Amino acid sequence: MAEAIQKKLQSELEKYQQMQKDVSKSMSARQKLEAQVTENNIVKEELDLLDTQNTVYKLIGPVLVKQDLEEAKATVAKRLEYINGEIQRYETLLKDMEKKSDQHREVLSSLQQEYQRAQGLAVGKV
Amino acid sequence: MAERNKMIIEVPQGVDRLRVEHKKVVQGCEGQIQHWAKVKGDYETLEDRLKTLPDQVSYDIMVPFGPLAFMPGMLVHTNEITVLLGDNWFAKCSAKQAQKLVEHRKKHVNSALDDLHKTRKDFEARVGFTEDLEKLSGAKGDYVDIREEVGSIEEMVSKGKLRVALKPHSKPKMEAVVKIEEEEEEEDKEGSGEGDGGSRRRVLSEEELWARLDELEAQEEQEEEQHRRFDSADTNGNDDTTSSEEEKEGDSGSHHRVNGHDERSKGRAFVPYNGSQLNSTAQSTGEEEEDEAEEEEGVCLPTIYFSHTVEPKKVRINTGKNTMLKFSELKEQKQQAKRKKKNGTSNGHSHHGLHNITTPTDLYRLFVDVKNGEPIPRKSILKSRSRESSVCSDTSESSAADFEERRTFGRTLSHDENTYSDTSDGITEEDSPTGVLLHPTSSFQAFSGTVVEKEPIPLSIPQFTIALPALPTIPERKLEEVAPEAPQEAPKRVSKFKTARLKQK
Repeated sequence: MAEAIQKKLQSELEKYQQMQKDVSKSMSARQKLEAQVTENNIVKEELDLLDTQNTVYKLIGPVLVKQDLEEAKATVAKRLEYINGEIQRYETLLKDMEKKSDQHREVLSSLQQEYQRAQGLAVGKV
Repeated sequence: MAERNKMIIEVPQGVDRLRVEHKKVVQGCEGQIQHWAKVKGDYETLEDRLKTLPDQVSYDIMVPFGPLAFMPGMLVHTNEITVLLGDNWFAKCSAKQAQKLVEHRKKHVNSALDDLHKTRKDFEARVGFTEDLEKLSGAKGDYVDIREEVGSIEEMVSKGKLRVALKPHSKPKMEAVVKIEEEEEEEDKEGSGEGDGGSRRRVLSEEELWARLDELEAQEEQEEEQHRRFDSADTNGNDDTTSSEEEKEGDSGSHHRVNGHDERSKGRAFVPYNGSQLNSTAQSTGEEEEDEAEEEEGVCLPTIYFSHTVEPKKVRINTGKNTMLKFSELKEQKQQAKRKKKNGTSNGHSHHGLHNITTPTDLYRLFVDVKNGEPIPRKSILKSRSRESSVCSDTSESSAADFEERRTFGRTLSHDENTYSDTSDGITEEDSPTGVLLHPTSSFQAFSGTVVEKEPIPLSIPQFTIALPALPTIPERKLEEVAPEAPQEAPKRVSKFKTARLKQK
C-alpha cells in the first residue's frame, strides 16, 4: 500500500518538475522577447532621427546590405509588431502552465499526506 | 511561555532569511548600476571623440593588427561614421549625426540608471525594516511591542444587545409595570406621611436607587441617540433641569419617584433627558398620581414621547395610506386638559393643548397652522398635496365629539377604498381614493357597510349623484360647485359604471 503510494508520488513529482521546467523556459523566452522589443524601439527612434541622405545597411551574415531608409523603418515596425504578438502568446502560455502546475502541486500535496499516513500505519504495524 | 519563546526563535529565522534576500536584491541593483555607469562613461568619451574627429581630414595612427601587433596607418573619411543602430541595422552618418544618436542613447542609459537607483533605495529601506523587526522579535534594543487589552469590545457588544432588546419594548414595559405597582404603593404612602415614611423608604430603596441609576444611565445614552432630532423641543426646559438632576441625585425620595416615573415612561416612550423628567416630576408630584399610571409627563416642557406599542385602534382620518390617528389620543387630550387645570404652571406654549406626542403624526398636529381660530395641522411634505384639502378639512373641522365619528367614518372608508380601487377602471389612481370620500354613503349602501352620516360630505353627495350619470367630466364641474360647501376637496373623476350604480340606488 505504501509502495503504491510512493510510486504514485514519484510519478506526480516528475510531472510537476517537468511542468516547472516548461514554465521557466517560457519565462526566459519571454524575457528575450522583451529585450528585443526595447532594442527595436531604440532602432526605430534612431532611424527617425536620420534623414534620407544617410545610407542604411543591414547586416545579413557577413554582408552589409544597403537598405532604403523608409524600407528600413517599415521593416523595423513590422518586426516590433511581430515581437509584441509573440510576447502575448507566451503570456497566455505561461498562465496556462502556471495553472497546471498549481493543480499538480495540489495533487502532490494530497499524495504526500496519504503517503505519510500510510507510512505511519506501516510503522504501527511493524 | 514556551510557545512565545518558540515563536521568537522562529520569527528571527524568517526575518533573517528575508533580510538576506533583501540584501541580495540590493547587491544586484548595485551591480547593474555599476554596469550602466560604465556604459554612460563610454558614451561620453565617444561623444568627445566624435567632436574632435572631423577636425582633421586624416589622422596618423597605430592600427592594431591582431591581438599583439600594431601598424602605422591613417584614419581617413573622418566624417563618415557607420553607426550600429541595433538588431543588425547600420546607418552611415556624419559625425554630428552620430553625436545626436549618441545623445539619444545616453538618455536611455540615464533612465535605466535612475530606475536602478530607486530600486536600490527601496530595498535598502526594506533591509532596515527587517533589521528592526529582528530586534523587535528578539526583544533586544529599544523597541517594545505595545499591546492593548481589547476588553471594550464586550461593552460594545452589550450595548448593541441592549439596543436590540429595547426595540420591541418588551422588557422595559414589564419593568415599567412592576415599577408602577411599586410606585403606586409608595406614592400613596408618601401622600399620607412624607416625612417619616419617606425617610424609611429612602433607607430601604437606596440600593435599588443605585441599580436604577445604572440602568438609567445606560438608557439615557440610547435614548440620546434615538432622540437627537427632538433636541429642539427639549431645549426649553433643560437648562434648569441639568443642575437639578445633580442636586437630586443624593436626594433619595424625589429621586426614587423620578426613577419610578422614568421606569414607567420607559414602557411607553423615551425621555430625552432625565433632567426634564425630574423637573416635571418635582412640580407635578402632588397633583399627578393617578393620571400618570398611563400617561407621560410633559406638561411643562414640550417633550416628545414615542410609544411603539400598538394602540387598540388605528384609524385613518384621511384617505391617505400613511396618516394615522390613534384612538387613545382623545383620552390623552382629555387628561392633558385635566392636568392643565390642576397645574398652575405651564410654559405658555402656543401648542400646550397638544403637548403629548406619542406618534410621529402627533408632530404634525403639534406644529399646526392656526387658521380661523382653529389649528390646522400641517401635512407631511412626503404626502401628496392633492389630498391636502381633505386632510385639513377633516381635522380642522372636527370637534372632540365629531372626532370619533370621523374616525370611524374614515375607517369604513378605508375598508371600501381597496375594493373600490379594484373594481373601478376608469378612475385615475390619484383621484379614486378621494373620489370614494365624496360619495361614500351611496357606496356604503352598495356594499352594506357601516354608514356614517356626516354633514358636510353627504351634502355634496346628492348633487354628485345627480351629476354623475351625465358625463364623467361633469362631476368635476359639479365638484367645483360643491367646493364652496366643502371648499377644500379636489375634483374627482368617477367611472360610468359607478355612477350608474349610484344612480340606481
